[in-house]
Amino acid sequence: MNEFGWRQALRIITLLIVTVLILLPLLATLLAGFKTQGDLATNPFLLPRQWHLEFYGQIINDPQFWTYLWNSLFISVVTTILTVIVASMAAFVFAHIRFFGSDYIFGYLLMGLMFPFAAAIIPLFIKVRDFGLLDTPWGVIVPQVAFGLAFSILLFRTFFDEMPKELFEAARVDGCTYPRFYLAFTLPLSMPIIATVATFIFTGSWNNYLLPLIMLNSRETYTWPLGMLQFQGEYIVEWNKVLAFVTLSLAPAIVFFLAAQRYIVAGLTGGAVKG
Amino acid sequence: MGGGFRCFSPICPPIESTFMSDLTPSGAAKAGATVIKARGRDGRWATVLLFLPPALLLFTLFVFLPLIEGGQYAGYKWSGYGEGPTDWRGMRNFETLSGNSTFLRSFNNTLIFVAVAILIQIPLGMAMALMIYRKTWANTIFRLVFFVPFILAEVATGLIWSFIFDGDYGVTSIFSTWFDWEKVFPLSDRTWALPVLLFVFVWKYFGFHMMIFIAALQSIPEDLIEASRIDGAKPGQIVRYVQIPLLKPAIAVSVFFAVVGSLQLFDLIIPLTRGGPSNTTHTLVSYLYNFGLVRQKVGFGSAVGVVLFVVSFIFAITYRATVMKARTEQ
Amino acid sequence: MAEVNLNSLSKSFGAVEVIPDLSLTVPDGAFTVLVGPSGCGKSTLLRMIAGLEEVSGGNIMIDGVDVTQAQPSDRGIAMVFQSYALYPHMTVRQNIGFGLKLAKTPKAEINARVDEAAEILQLQPLLDRKPKQLSGGQRQRVAIGRSIVRKPKVFLFDEPLSNLDAALRAQMRVELAELHAKLDATMIYVTHDQVEAMTMADQIVIMKDGVIMQQGRPMDLYNTPQNPFVGGFVGSPKMNLIKGPIAQGYNADVVGVRPEHIDVSQDSGQWEGTLRYVEHLGSDTVAYIDGKDTGSVTVRLTGQVAINAKEKVFMTPQTGNIHLFGADGRVERA
Repeated sequence: MNEFGWRQALRIITLLIVTVLILLPLLATLLAGFKTQGDLATNPFLLPRQWHLEFYGQIINDPQFWTYLWNSLFISVVTTILTVIVASMAAFVFAHIRFFGSDYIFGYLLMGLMFPFAAAIIPLFIKVRDFGLLDTPWGVIVPQVAFGLAFSILLFRTFFDEMPKELFEAARVDGCTYPRFYLAFTLPLSMPIIATVATFIFTGSWNNYLLPLIMLNSRETYTWPLGMLQFQGEYIVEWNKVLAFVTLSLAPAIVFFLAAQRYIVAGLTGGAVKG
Repeated sequence: MGGGFRCFSPICPPIESTFMSDLTPSGAAKAGATVIKARGRDGRWATVLLFLPPALLLFTLFVFLPLIEGGQYAGYKWSGYGEGPTDWRGMRNFETLSGNSTFLRSFNNTLIFVAVAILIQIPLGMAMALMIYRKTWANTIFRLVFFVPFILAEVATGLIWSFIFDGDYGVTSIFSTWFDWEKVFPLSDRTWALPVLLFVFVWKYFGFHMMIFIAALQSIPEDLIEASRIDGAKPGQIVRYVQIPLLKPAIAVSVFFAVVGSLQLFDLIIPLTRGGPSNTTHTLVSYLYNFGLVRQKVGFGSAVGVVLFVVSFIFAITYRATVMKARTEQ
Repeated sequence: MAEVNLNSLSKSFGAVEVIPDLSLTVPDGAFTVLVGPSGCGKSTLLRMIAGLEEVSGGNIMIDGVDVTQAQPSDRGIAMVFQSYALYPHMTVRQNIGFGLKLAKTPKAEINARVDEAAEILQLQPLLDRKPKQLSGGQRQRVAIGRSIVRKPKVFLFDEPLSNLDAALRAQMRVELAELHAKLDATMIYVTHDQVEAMTMADQIVIMKDGVIMQQGRPMDLYNTPQNPFVGGFVGSPKMNLIKGPIAQGYNADVVGVRPEHIDVSQDSGQWEGTLRYVEHLGSDTVAYIDGKDTGSVTVRLTGQVAINAKEKVFMTPQTGNIHLFGADGRVERA
């Protein structure tokens, strides 16, 4: 057991190096907002020589910042709810009702897994514009839901297939209709997979940059990534302010991650490894 | 895996049961669905008609049709305004693309990203996974930390690292001052810009692959490892002969996500280099955005979109074929 | 083949001491069964012998060599796991030959030895299959084959039959016993099933809470249990253990009488009782009796005896088969 001491040492060193490479930039980002530009220029990684709160304050007191966050929140929440509803309903049909062509329709929907969103941004832009949804949150919500369907339906259907058939049969004997079963049994029992899907869809929407970039033109509609780069454009070299903005924008995501990490990891890996 | 549904999509990820469950004789498929016969008084059809159309409608309108239209637009020269494209150019846009050095460069860059994802991100993820998959509290903390880059928004990550690599005001400039070097501007340097991007790319995504491998490693029964120790396997041999072969399904999943993700790289590029210096670090998507959408050359941009689609499609088919083939051989 | 010596072995998991101080000798070529209830430490002991668990104190000698600090693969042992632990991605041939491959044995020799093991276990038609294509019994034989091919000094078995159904288990018991005879190997076998122990062992070691309660030949354990625990563990139905006034009457702490050593009469006898329930098995009749002074007593009578529940009966223990256990460890027969 002791012959492998050098192995252990190598392992620890590697792990520590990677940890530093990850934490140092993040730490620098977090602390930057508390420093003056001059302080930051000479002292990126250590604590501020003097703690300045006004940079964070400037951002927090700017109503525009909160507008960005609210826009993102609205879009992400609505996207998530719609995706979960639409996808679970479709998956329910595939899991319980086989009819002629149902496999083909399922395959059709799953093709979405391999269509890169980016390949469709131009026609999507035109379509959204023709629908009059440009510059509105719905211009972002609807395409996001549409592109999230393949992944979500797959996850839901896999989960639904694993639910015991006897449950369904017993309910049927009791006279339960399909929609009723969906509402009373499938949804409540699917909380774990709903949580997983919701986490993915929400995070994807929250962090999305390209789609809002295309669809949103007025600052009041901007989501936080757009707002962040807008802010950077204004304060280009004032990294302390820019990084304060970044920190504030990332804070919800990190807090959420730490709180829900068990779920995220389990859902991601369970689903991924099983297929 | 239950249901035994047949996935007709060429890119259905491996849905069959995993290695481990194959060992139990009862890997029997869960019962499938009820089949609709002529009689259907229990509201089956009503349910189908109620539950399925929203998904079909949304998908068709906003995923399927746009892709077809993209193919259409690619044959025109159009600014994107007005009733519709009118200036038919046939394959002209594609010809232009094939001769356009910037486009070819961005295509090449995209392939480089894919290669790096497969050859660096995934092995790095696996190496990390092998180091910290055992369930100790220290490993749990490492796992969390290594996963954090993945959960950060790509744009934000790009911004953070553009600070680090900023030659004037960022960390790089500080190093220059400390060591009394000349100022370096890696992100504006034709030689260094792409390597920097690749580094951030690996930094951001290795944790994702690591998580997949950790799950797979943890699902290998401990007595399998013990048996191999009794058989005389040293740690390196355990990794090589027992663990990695059993990770093949996880590797397949990782590669799939790696390629699909790399092909769509955009958010990371913009804050770091915007495709520069001198359009040398564009990817397919950033090229599409800049030279297609922003410059209102819709037809041209759609052609790029078609290229992107074709590449993805070819990958999907090849991947499916290889993965399926590998599975049947087992 | 080799002798195994365990000297003052102790094992603790953190603050919990599971094996205080255990010493045992397994003679060369013997089939020794470690048996006991769940949590008695038998599996832990086996794993310590294998080298999969660290030893907290004492030492282990195999064939005269101190292996306490040695790696599992350097101890000259082979182990058959309860779950068989076959490598799912390798064929049967590769599974069996894996250890030899790691030892850089020449390919020709690997094939020869694998074929040899396959012949002993009748695995030849299965050599190119993968584990998932095999039945439970076949997988178990592959696991055994993997052990045989290493030509170990000691074979270790960790509840290998637990995952098999009853019929298969009975068949495998015979095969394992025949294998032992054929190979003349030292085998240490862990089980919780006393039937397996009784039928297969040259030497049984009964454990409880990390302590050896008794060791010896199966018949010795049956005929002369040294404490109530062993008495109650070996034999089915369980030995009746009676305390209270009756025990005091014999000047003992516990009186043990096997169900097959009690005579029942409707007229007279030493102890009084009422029949609670009767099982008619055809070859035997098992009576569950609520004794007045004795408590619940089980009696096994040969043949088909016409008695029914709720009847009043008298029980008489057969002289010479009454085991007296004293509180100080004294053991006598009456």
